[in-house]
Amino acid sequence: MNTEVPWTALAATDADWAEADPALLRAMYAQLVLIRTFEEQVLDLAGSGLVHGPAHSSIGQEGGAVGSILTLRSSDTVNGSHRGHHQFLAKALAHVHPLTGATPLDPRDKIESEVREVLHRTLAEICGLADGYCRGRGGSMHLKWQDAGAMGTNAIVGGGVPQALGFAWSHRQAATDDVSIAYFGDGAMNIGSVLESLNLAAAWKLPVCFFVENNQYAVATTVAESTAESRLSARGPGFGIPSWRVDGMDPLAVHLAMQEILEHVRSGAGPAILEADVYRYFHQNGPFPGSAFGYRDKAEERAWRDRDPIALTRRRLIELGLHTDAELTSYDEHVGAVLTEVAGVLVEPVPDGRPGQRRIRPSAWPNPGFVDVGVVGDLSELAGMTTVDKGTWSGELVETGFIDVVSEVMARRLATDRRIVVMGEDIHRLNGGTNGATRGLAAAYPDRVLGTPISENAFTGLAGGIALDGRYRPVVEFMFADFMWVAADQVFNQIGKARHMFGGDDAVPMVIRSKVAAGTGYGSQHSMDPTGVLAMSPGLRICAPTTPFDYIGMMNAALACDDPVVVLEHVDLYGTTGLVPVEDRDYQVEIGRASIRRPGTHLTVLTYLSMVDTALRAAQTLHDESGLDVEVVDLRWLDRHSLDWETIADSIRRTANVVIVEQGSSATSYGAWLAAEVQRRLFDWLDQPVQGVTGGLASPSISKVLEAAALAQEDDVTAALRAADPRVAHSVEKA
Amino acid sequence: MPTLIRMPAVAAGATEVVLAEWPVGETDSFVAHQTYAVIETDKAVVDLEAEADGVLVRALVPAGAKVEVGDPIALVAAPGEQIDDVAAALAALGVTVAVEHELPVRREVTEVAAPPSAPRIAADGRRVFASPLARRLARDAGLRASDLVGTGPGGRVVRRDIELAIAARHSAPESSAPAPGPATAQEHGGITEVPHTRVRRAVASRLTRSKQERPHFYVSGSARVDRLLALRAEVEAATGIKVSLNDLVVRAVGRAHELVPELNVTWTDDAVIQHRRVDVGIAVATERGLMTPVVTDVTGRSLLDLSAATRDLATRAGDGGLRQHELEGGTVAVSNLGMFGVEEFSAIINPPHASILAVGAARQEPVVADGALEVGTVMRFVLSVDHRPVDGVAAGRWMQAFLRLVEHPAGMLA
Repeated sequence: MNTEVPWTALAATDADWAEADPALLRAMYAQLVLIRTFEEQVLDLAGSGLVHGPAHSSIGQEGGAVGSILTLRSSDTVNGSHRGHHQFLAKALAHVHPLTGATPLDPRDKIESEVREVLHRTLAEICGLADGYCRGRGGSMHLKWQDAGAMGTNAIVGGGVPQALGFAWSHRQAATDDVSIAYFGDGAMNIGSVLESLNLAAAWKLPVCFFVENNQYAVATTVAESTAESRLSARGPGFGIPSWRVDGMDPLAVHLAMQEILEHVRSGAGPAILEADVYRYFHQNGPFPGSAFGYRDKAEERAWRDRDPIALTRRRLIELGLHTDAELTSYDEHVGAVLTEVAGVLVEPVPDGRPGQRRIRPSAWPNPGFVDVGVVGDLSELAGMTTVDKGTWSGELVETGFIDVVSEVMARRLATDRRIVVMGEDIHRLNGGTNGATRGLAAAYPDRVLGTPISENAFTGLAGGIALDGRYRPVVEFMFADFMWVAADQVFNQIGKARHMFGGDDAVPMVIRSKVAAGTGYGSQHSMDPTGVLAMSPGLRICAPTTPFDYIGMMNAALACDDPVVVLEHVDLYGTTGLVPVEDRDYQVEIGRASIRRPGTHLTVLTYLSMVDTALRAAQTLHDESGLDVEVVDLRWLDRHSLDWETIADSIRRTANVVIVEQGSSATSYGAWLAAEVQRRLFDWLDQPVQGVTGGLASPSISKVLEAAALAQEDDVTAALRAADPRVAHSVEKA
Repeated sequence: MPTLIRMPAVAAGATEVVLAEWPVGETDSFVAHQTYAVIETDKAVVDLEAEADGVLVRALVPAGAKVEVGDPIALVAAPGEQIDDVAAALAALGVTVAVEHELPVRREVTEVAAPPSAPRIAADGRRVFASPLARRLARDAGLRASDLVGTGPGGRVVRRDIELAIAARHSAPESSAPAPGPATAQEHGGITEVPHTRVRRAVASRLTRSKQERPHFYVSGSARVDRLLALRAEVEAATGIKVSLNDLVVRAVGRAHELVPELNVTWTDDAVIQHRRVDVGIAVATERGLMTPVVTDVTGRSLLDLSAATRDLATRAGDGGLRQHELEGGTVAVSNLGMFGVEEFSAIINPPHASILAVGAARQEPVVADGALEVGTVMRFVLSVDHRPVDGVAAGRWMQAFLRLVEHPAGMLA
């Protein structure tokens, strides 16, 4: 048997060096020395305790980064791992001094202000200072400069790789031949998100290059200990991806391999893998070699250092007569002086301290008041939309099915907004997915309604990448809420945190549609209400429409919003009907507005999704039974940024009694958080403890009887409301 | 110029590093890349290698010492460099004092006493449960939640209780406070269901709590009251004003409390409160229920004044005209069922009192006096006592003193 795609090992020959463009070699050396010297400065600061947290040095690995990035355009994108200073700097330097521009970097030139600014802002970010690219929030492991096409380094191993697929998808959808390069290490080659991404990128023929920096160690664990196929690029042919392997200590070899890959990827032929063998001279972090920690020996370290990429390039430049030794030494010293100056802007001697003792300049720190600024946006992007609510709608209404408006509003948005792209499992088949929520969409918009492989982590991350890129607005469907856990890194670590972590300004416009399927007999792993857990993730908005009218307006708001919005769709509501405008599918129901579905005076019920109807029925029962007058508030927007405290507080001030009603497990209760917040804000207005109705402790079982027992039922709500009836006088039970 | 070597940071987060070993001795020379010190964290053993040739002038910390990152560890000089005064060289580099480096020692941990418990809320030591809203409404209305009887779960004072208290305060004396829920009797199935009135609830709650919280014990006694009755008649004859037997009993209780002050107390969780003045509650049966207004200073008033005050309180108790402060305080109450011919009974202490005296009827009985049988008027008394603040001996002495006063009422005048 043969692999269907080529697997190539490539090395640079004397002839290759001789034939290489002198400007390329000069820029290569200039970048290599800048990055190495920068990293030495970082280690020096780290050794003095001035870098808070780990400083993952890339010293020894510069050849792979510079060789692969030097010829990229600014519109090509890169992202990387926790060890990403070298790629970030290479991309930023290529952006301010492109090889094809008027002033490519050259060791004979003085370092100009643009380069100084790159060095300053990068060093500031690594030290956690206000001048950093992410205002000091990102640090060493979250470096992002979107203008330069540096889309963000990542502290979760493999976590950024699915997003690189999203950048690639956006490049192709925008009809460019730009490429996306995902840098990651040998350790990441064995994590699920990378393997899922290899498959999805190949299945969708995305213009992405998977660049594996094989530095031989995942912290202290060797490649051979981690995998039986230690030739990491051998993964490629198994996924149908053409793959290259190159000596990463030779920047020209990397450059030559990259040229072959760029030709392949830009042509639209799909992804490629490039494995570059490199060596991290130091331990995982800090200024000492790995041998100090006992997992490798000094002889091995010496052997790799003997093949140092800078020494190699320097030797070749002199041999080729492009530079003299003195010229290059002079450049090295110039770079050293520049970096001392750059560091000197950020640090200063400790006043009255010991000689040589330094500290961060107090004025360089971010203001502590900035801590929570920009977790989500200010919603100003929604200002132009028509906002209505059922009570204020004056046009003609018609009874319509909930599931019908789900597909209708998405069809309307796909028609009017070419940025919308919808993806999920089976959404393009079965006449609109498993519930008919995407009926008719794939036929009308085949390039923007995408059936995915069963790879929640990869396709959610891909969508996150599209959102971070910003040219398109993805909509992801989770067939069941519980599948969110498969994509948990992307939903919670990446998408939920991205805006804040990268400085608080970047939009992350995406919608996650999640079915909530409690009560359908799908058992313990398909029946959860995810609200309580989602509400613990600042950065996500949670949208819970309960009527067809609201669904249209709330989905429109969610799609127009620049924050990630999880839209919860309860299957019990799919079969319901309600009055909606005859034609209009463009109106918006305002983010942050709850709805009083039944006014009352004795007791406030706070609830959402299918439990709104349940609570309304229970309220009617008690009204008939004893005249209890219950107010039912449909919360609609559930996250802490959007929750309508004005309506909630007004209701509780009137009734002084509150019962929170939810369907799912008490263990992941949303009401638990809400109750704490209610008592904190409204303590003096409460005449009894905040009461609650939840399901049982465990996940609902498949058995119909046990499932019903595990979920809050109408009888439970009725009993809770009866027990909380503030008109009932109690006798003293005990002293 | 010699230079200082400082302890480097080995890995993120480690602030202390152990200087494990000095492979190079003081005043020894070393060459570039030679290991001159070995340092150690819990994760790594790091060889510190010389960047250039030199001499180790002075090791500033001993092997095995814990050193903070950034602290100086050694003074080194270039080959051949002469350092005559090491101390001066160190001082020039800002190292003035030889630092005592901490070798790991076992630390003694001192137990810290728990903070004292929070003070109790109500005056009688009872924790008052009230909803946040009720507390706020009570505060706004100038009421104290601890004065009210809660009708929420567990006796919690809730909004309704405050609203009723406000309504009661505003209503005219003759109109009773509105009871919670429909207050009319409903008859069905051969029984009549009479919903609780507010007073009924209050009494039930108060007495239940009293009986549960207060360990009652009882001392009883009987006394001939012929002299007391004669005294009453004399007072009436002299002043034209009627004084009740009960007024005289109340006066005797007050006097007995002065003679045996161990009974003139109230209990709190933290202390027994000793009262000086004697205030006595009078149990009054009214149409609205049992009320216990308090007659203050029963020994400081004249008998007529005491009688008038008692009559006034009893009258107003009947028509709902009592004010809250008139229902508060006292250390003892008197409950009298003699008018119904009841010979003897025992009563439940009315909080916050420490005792209650149950008074039976004055009846003619055969009595033995000086060895001869004769007819005398006799009353029986039972004192219920809270055993927490009062012991049996004190109660016995009190009963002895009280019976003597009743039998020899001249003692009351003293």
